[in-house]
Amino acid sequence: MSTHKTEVPYGTLDLLILKTLHTMGPMHGYSIARRIEQVSERDMRLSQGSIYPALIRLEQQGWIRTEWGISETNRKVKFYALTRAGAKQLRVEVANWEEATALVARFLEGKP
Amino acid sequence: MKLRLLVNRLVALLRTRRLERELDDEVMAHLELAERDAIAAGMSPDEARRRARRLFGGIDQMKEEHRDRRSARWIEMLLGDLRYGLASLARSPAFAAVTIGVLALGIGANAAMFSVVDAVLLKPLPYPEPDRIVRVWEAPRPGVTNATSTLDFLDWQRLGTSFEALAAEAPISAALTGAGEPVRLSGKVVSAEYFEVFATRASLGRTFGPDEDQPGAAPVVVLSHAAWQTYFGGDPGILNRRPILNGEPHQVVGVLPPGAFDRDDAEFWKPLVFRPEQHIRDGHWLTVFGRLRRDATLQQARQEMHAIDEALTEVTPDYKREWTIVVERLDRLLVGNRLRQSIVVAFGAVALVLLIACANVANLLLTRGAARKKELAVRAALGASRGRLVAQLLAESAVLCLLGGAAGVTVALLLIRIATPILSEAIPYTADVSLDIRVLAFAAVVALGVALLVGAFPSWQTSFGELARSLNLSTRGSSGAHSKLRRTIVVGEVALSLVLVCGALLLFRSLLNLQRLETGVRTESVITMSVDLPVHAYATPESAALFYEAVTERLESVPGVAQAALSTHLPLQWINHGMGMQIPGPDELFNVRFKRVDPGYFDMLAIPLRAGRGITDRDRDGAPLVVVINEALAAQLADLGGMQDPVGQAVRLSVPHYESGSEMTDVQVVGVIRSERVDAPGAPDPRVVYVPLAQVPSTGVKLMVRTQAEPASVMPGIREAVREIDPNLPLGDIATMQQVRERTLSGASRPAWVIGAFAAVAVLLAALGLYGVLSHAVTERRREIGIRMALGARGRDVLSHVLQNALSMVILGLAAGLVGALVLTRVLESLLFEVSALDPLVLAVACVSMTLIGLLAGFVPASRAAHVDPIAVLRDEG
Repeated sequence: MSTHKTEVPYGTLDLLILKTLHTMGPMHGYSIARRIEQVSERDMRLSQGSIYPALIRLEQQGWIRTEWGISETNRKVKFYALTRAGAKQLRVEVANWEEATALVARFLEGKP
Repeated sequence: MKLRLLVNRLVALLRTRRLERELDDEVMAHLELAERDAIAAGMSPDEARRRARRLFGGIDQMKEEHRDRRSARWIEMLLGDLRYGLASLARSPAFAAVTIGVLALGIGANAAMFSVVDAVLLKPLPYPEPDRIVRVWEAPRPGVTNATSTLDFLDWQRLGTSFEALAAEAPISAALTGAGEPVRLSGKVVSAEYFEVFATRASLGRTFGPDEDQPGAAPVVVLSHAAWQTYFGGDPGILNRRPILNGEPHQVVGVLPPGAFDRDDAEFWKPLVFRPEQHIRDGHWLTVFGRLRRDATLQQARQEMHAIDEALTEVTPDYKREWTIVVERLDRLLVGNRLRQSIVVAFGAVALVLLIACANVANLLLTRGAARKKELAVRAALGASRGRLVAQLLAESAVLCLLGGAAGVTVALLLIRIATPILSEAIPYTADVSLDIRVLAFAAVVALGVALLVGAFPSWQTSFGELARSLNLSTRGSSGAHSKLRRTIVVGEVALSLVLVCGALLLFRSLLNLQRLETGVRTESVITMSVDLPVHAYATPESAALFYEAVTERLESVPGVAQAALSTHLPLQWINHGMGMQIPGPDELFNVRFKRVDPGYFDMLAIPLRAGRGITDRDRDGAPLVVVINEALAAQLADLGGMQDPVGQAVRLSVPHYESGSEMTDVQVVGVIRSERVDAPGAPDPRVVYVPLAQVPSTGVKLMVRTQAEPASVMPGIREAVREIDPNLPLGDIATMQQVRERTLSGASRPAWVIGAFAAVAVLLAALGLYGVLSHAVTERRREIGIRMALGARGRDVLSHVLQNALSMVILGLAAGLVGALVLTRVLESLLFEVSALDPLVLAVACVSMTLIGLLAGFVPASRAAHVDPIAVLRDEG
């Protein structure tokens, strides 16, 4: 297994998807995957397919909703959009994330 | 898991096919877009396709993960297992039928029994806030209840502050006339507050107003729902009708809701109006109920009644000075100890039956598990984990048990329907035995519990058996651990059955003793009925006396009638009429049972005279008042006043007037009769004084007719004869003396039959289990038997070998069962009549019959073994 690219940290894919939809508005699966790749500037190993199980879970939680649209290749495809509950969840997750990274950072600074 | 997520997943489960298609489409679109971008970046179409796939990652892994994420996977698997279970049951319908049948019996009997337990012991009384309802009575001694006198009741009602309502009731009956044949209705006279005690409102109209129990109020009546339906066809205009009760039109003011009051004896209620002569402290005739105030405790009510008792000492007759007042919660009183015990014992017995049924089913599953070893081994070899195999086996037993439970509910419904008429006499009227949601829940829990219990054995066995190896083994090889477990189960079944058989035999022996019990009265070809004379038509005691004379004379001329007699209480039934008696010397007043009989009574019931004379035609109005006493009272007189020969002696007796009230009167004892049995066996004979009916007439009497022919064939003649004397007089409570006897002794017979039925089922199941194990063993060892026979063993040897095998299991079971029986039959002790719980005869009979049944169950497989053809078996081996 290659080590020069980090894997998606556990549990952060949800956060990345929510944030993407928050910034970009409704998108289909492929563009979500692309967007995540672009933002991470290919530093992160992501099988594009792995976003689909994450998407269905987020949908079942009620954080994103789907509607049918037409893709650039003229195919009927699902577009995902953030719901109000999803926006709230995003704020919670961002806060959690910041808290966690701050904690780790303090730890690594190695205050005696 | 959050509810929303769960719901979404369940929805996803139902929409699996559509979701799969959508996912496919999405993947396709994704790959297309990726390809398009790659081509735009300058790759060849082939390169672009490969790159798109690579970036996407494993499609099938993703799909699997998608499925895992979107739906509750375990439910999907469970459904799969259940489907598989159903399919494999369908492949062996005989096995399925036997198992489901056994389970249905076990679960059904338990559910039915639970409905009784629930109705009688668990559910609260069917009235609002039932724990506030109490009964109040006077107690001459601790543990003895006595009815209440009018004045005492009125004082309690006036002085008591702990009660929201305090009401009295007394039984009455009335002839309903005006529509064809007169009908005799049972009813109650009750104080106006009566229905407030039970917090019951009329479903139509109203109950009694506060002044309706005062003298001079217009005659009104409240009907039970059942009476309204039966006698008035549920007429919605009933409140405008004025049915004639005892010759007097009554305004119907209300109809009660259906339910508890329908199961009570009473069909109508009238206000209880006290006549001036009833304002005494001597006649004890009222049953008093109260509803405690919301803020009053039972303890407060008791203390208050005690204080009232003290305050009334001045006005209380001397003989009642020592009496106390008892307040007890109604729900505690309705279920007697004996009934509670009978129910608990029966429930215990039926639980044992269920246990045996479980054992049988576990055994069947084990046998089947052995046969399916190969199938399971294949599945294991194909990668099914042990957990999955166990889950699958459990799911299969769950399918069985749920089907068995569903069939069991049907069985329970049937049992309840059969038992309801028999039960209604034995259990309090407040208990509503029905198959409600609680019983269904109980059945479901039992079914699932059974599923776990019976499923656990085979799963455990199967998983521990080394499955992979069993692929290589010949199926004929028997697994030692398996057959040992199965034998242990059968031994357990035999043991449990023995306990039940012992219990049932003890109860039957006790029943037999009761049947042989000398009741002291003739019960053959005597038919009994109740007659109530309406006071308005028979206003004077003389008119009643004339009626008695006329009706017995007329009846004795009916063809087929040998003799007719009258009394105020039926033989063998409790005499609920107590009166005070005084003898010279100790001036003390004591209570005796007071029964009025006509000249024919002692002769017709063959009650022998011990001294003096019986009651004759000359003991009529105008002649000096005489009484006959029973031996128990004679003994009491000897004890109290040293009266060795009571015949010819004078005593003072409180004698009731025709309508109400009573008076201390000098009477002469003219004879002593042998005590007739009164009430259930076991209790000592009460002291009874017999007074000539003609001298002290009563409006309510029992008519007894001894017939020469079949009683039913004489009944029309009897009716005709009574109609000739008075066409408006209905006959009620028609029953043969045998039935009266049954009713008196029935408290003891019911548990015997119930436990007997359970024991029979248990024995049958045990025999089935034994048969199953032996016949399986014979099948498994066909080859061994064949070789033995080829080597010269005779059929007889093989037969005895198999039977020995059966016997060894039975004997082990009997040994274990005897220990259980010694411990468990002890709980029966108080239900037994003149039988010891350790009766050796019963134990011996139980053991011998279990052994015989065991041999019988073993005989079929044994003879099959004896007929094994060695050549055929060995040829099969090839």
